[in-house]
Amino acid sequence: MHAWVEWARGPAFTFCFCFMVLGLVRHVVLTMWEVNRTMRRAGDTSLPLAAIGRATVRWLLPMDTIRHDVVFSLTSVVFHVAILIVPLLLVGHIALWARGLGVSWPGIPNGLSDVLTVLAVVTAAALAVQRVTARVTRAISKPQDHLLLLVLALPFVTGFLVMHPSFNPFAFDTAMFLHVMSGNAVFLLMPVTKLSHAVLLPGTQLVAEIGWHWPADSGSRVAAALGKEAESV
Amino acid sequence: MTDTRTKYSFYVEQRALEVADRPRKFLEAFAAVLEHSSYHLPLDTYSRASVRCGRCAAECQLYESTQEDRDIPCHRSELLLRVYRRYFTRSGAIAARFTGGFTLTDDDLDEMAEAYYRCTACRRCKLTCPVGIDHGLITHLGRWLLAETGIVPKALVVATRAQLEGVGNTSAIPVAALRDTCEFLEDEIRETYGTDVKFPIDVEGAEYVFFPAVSDYLLEPDTLMGNAAVMHVTGGSWTIGTGNFDGINYGLFYSDRMMERIVRNEVAEVRRLKGRKILIGECGHATRSAWFVPTFCGPDAPPVVNFLQYTARQLREGRIPLKADRIEPRVTYHDPCNIARSGRITEEPREILHAICRDFVEMTPNRTENYCCGGGGGTVSIDEIRKFRTGPMGRRKAEQIRATGARLVVAPCANCKKQLKEVCEDNGLDDVEIVGLHDLLLKIIDFDSVRPIGPVPAGDERDGSAAATGAGA
Repeated sequence: MHAWVEWARGPAFTFCFCFMVLGLVRHVVLTMWEVNRTMRRAGDTSLPLAAIGRATVRWLLPMDTIRHDVVFSLTSVVFHVAILIVPLLLVGHIALWARGLGVSWPGIPNGLSDVLTVLAVVTAAALAVQRVTARVTRAISKPQDHLLLLVLALPFVTGFLVMHPSFNPFAFDTAMFLHVMSGNAVFLLMPVTKLSHAVLLPGTQLVAEIGWHWPADSGSRVAAALGKEAESV
Repeated sequence: MTDTRTKYSFYVEQRALEVADRPRKFLEAFAAVLEHSSYHLPLDTYSRASVRCGRCAAECQLYESTQEDRDIPCHRSELLLRVYRRYFTRSGAIAARFTGGFTLTDDDLDEMAEAYYRCTACRRCKLTCPVGIDHGLITHLGRWLLAETGIVPKALVVATRAQLEGVGNTSAIPVAALRDTCEFLEDEIRETYGTDVKFPIDVEGAEYVFFPAVSDYLLEPDTLMGNAAVMHVTGGSWTIGTGNFDGINYGLFYSDRMMERIVRNEVAEVRRLKGRKILIGECGHATRSAWFVPTFCGPDAPPVVNFLQYTARQLREGRIPLKADRIEPRVTYHDPCNIARSGRITEEPREILHAICRDFVEMTPNRTENYCCGGGGGTVSIDEIRKFRTGPMGRRKAEQIRATGARLVVAPCANCKKQLKEVCEDNGLDDVEIVGLHDLLLKIIDFDSVRPIGPVPAGDERDGSAAATGAGA
C-alpha cells in the first residue's frame, strides 16, 4: 500500500495538479481573449468599470449579500473559506511543497486546520442536505451537483483521519491513499466541471456587461447570414 | 383559420405556425448570432460556471407566486444553455457522440417560447446570483432566436411592422393626427393654465429631438403637457420630428435586428433635423433601447437624455418655478426596471417628487431592487395574457403598492403605467391612481412667475454614472 501512496502523491499528483493548473489557466486565457475580441468588435466600447468592480468585489467578499438567505449564505461562505484555506495553509501540505519544490509559506496552526476541516465537512453535508430538501435546488440540480459535493468532502474527511489516527478505522496508508487520490480527483475535476467557477467568478460581472456590447452591425450581419435582408418584419 | 393561441398562451401570426423544420432554423440562427454578435462569451462562461444554487428563485416575483419549476430563472436559462452546450461546444459534441445526449426538438422550442415570455427580463435575479449570471440576457437572446424561427407574440411583431414598414410608429398615428393632437394639447394648457405652451414640430437645429412612447399621444396627454410645460418654463430648445416621433423599440423585447433598425431611425431623424440630443419621454424601455445608440451608431452619435434627467437638472438649477401648493395625497414611486435596475436613473425622479409632494413614501424594496410592474419585456402589450400579468406576475407589485397606503403611484414609463392600472383593477386597488411624474409636476408649476429667460446653457443631463453603468449593467 505504501507504494500506492507514493504513486498517488508522486506522478498521479503531478499529473492531476498540472492538469488543473493548465486547465484553469486555459479558462482564464480564453476568457480574456474573448473579452478582448468582443470589445474590439463592439459598437460601444465604453465600459462601466467602477460598477463592474463594485459588483465583483460584492460577490467575492459577499458580506452584504448574506442578509438575503442567512442560513444558506453563511453555510456556503464558511464552506468556501474552509476548503480554500485548509489545503493551502495546512502545515503538512506546506512541508510537502518545501520538500518537493523548495518553496514554503506560513501555515496555520493544526488546531485551526482541524476546526476548518470539520467545518468543511459539516457545511458540505449541510449543502448536500439543502440541495436535496429545498424545492428549488432539487428541481435544478444535475447528478454532478450532488456528486461534486461528495468528492469535495472526501479529501477533508480522509485528511482528518490521517491527522487523527485515534479516529481512523483504516490503516494509515489506506487513509492517506484515499486522501491523496480524492484530492487528485478534485484537481482533475476543477477545469471540466462547474468547479471552474473558482477562476471564472472574478470575471463574470464583466462578462455579463460585455454580453450587451454588440457589434454596430450585428443585427444586419445576422440578417445577411440568414438571407433575411429583404424580408419584411 | 386556426386559433393561434392554442399553441402558446399568446397569439402568434398564422405564418408562425406554418414554419417547417424549426429546430434546424433555430440552430442556424443561433450559429449566426454567435458568429456576429457578442453572446458567445456569456453563454460560454455561464454554461461552465453556473453552480445551480437556486438563489435566483428567491428573488423572482413570478416564482414567489407560482412555485413552479419552470419559473426558476436558472431552470429557464438552462433551456438555452443546454442547446449551446450540445451544439456549439466541443465537449457537448463529444458527449453527444457517446451518450446520444440532448437533441433539440419542436417541443423544446415550444417550452422555450412559453418560458421566455413568462419572464419579463426585469433582471432582478441578476442582483442575487453569486455567479453573476444575467438571466435577462439569456431571455433576451432566447426570444431573438425564437423570433428567427417564427415564434414571436403577434402584438409585438404587428407594432414593429407598423413602425418600420407602415405609418412609422407603433400606434400607427399619421403625421396629421400628431399635429392635431399637439394643437389640442396646446389649447388644453391654454384653457387650464392660461399659458401659451408650444409643441414645436420639425424645428431645425433644436438641442433636443423628442421621442416619447408614441402611445402617450393617445393615452397620456397629461404627461406630454407636463413635458412641454417644463420645456416652456426652462426655455428649452426642443422639437418633435414628423419623420419619426416614436421612442418605442420592441426590438429590445424580441430581436436585435429590429432594435438596430429602430435605433438607427431615431438617430437619422435627429440628424435630419440637425438636432443635438435625443430626448426620451417617460418610458423605461425606450430609454434603455436608446442607450444602445452608441452601440449601433458609434461614439459620435447624439447623446441620449431621459426627460427625468432633464427636469431634475433644471429643478436643481432653480429654473422651474413651483407654486407653494404641493400634491396632497400620499404618493409613491415605481422604479421602471429598464432605467433603475442598473442604478442609472433612480435619484432624479425622487428629487422632483420630494420637491412637489407633501407626502412621498417609498415602496419596499425600491431603486435597483424594485419589483417589476409585471408587464416588462413587452408582455404588457400582450392583452391575452392579462390574467397572468396581473395575477402571478403582478400580485407582488400590488402588495407593494398596498403596503405604502399611497393614493397616487408615479410610474414614469408608458408600459409600466398600463400594466399598473390593470394590476390595480384586478387586485382590488380601486382607489389608487397611476400617473406619470410630469403629470403631477404640471399641476405645481407656477406659470405666473415665469420670467422670460435666455436659452438654457448647454449642459449634460446624463447622469454622472451614465458611462459608469452601461446599457446592460
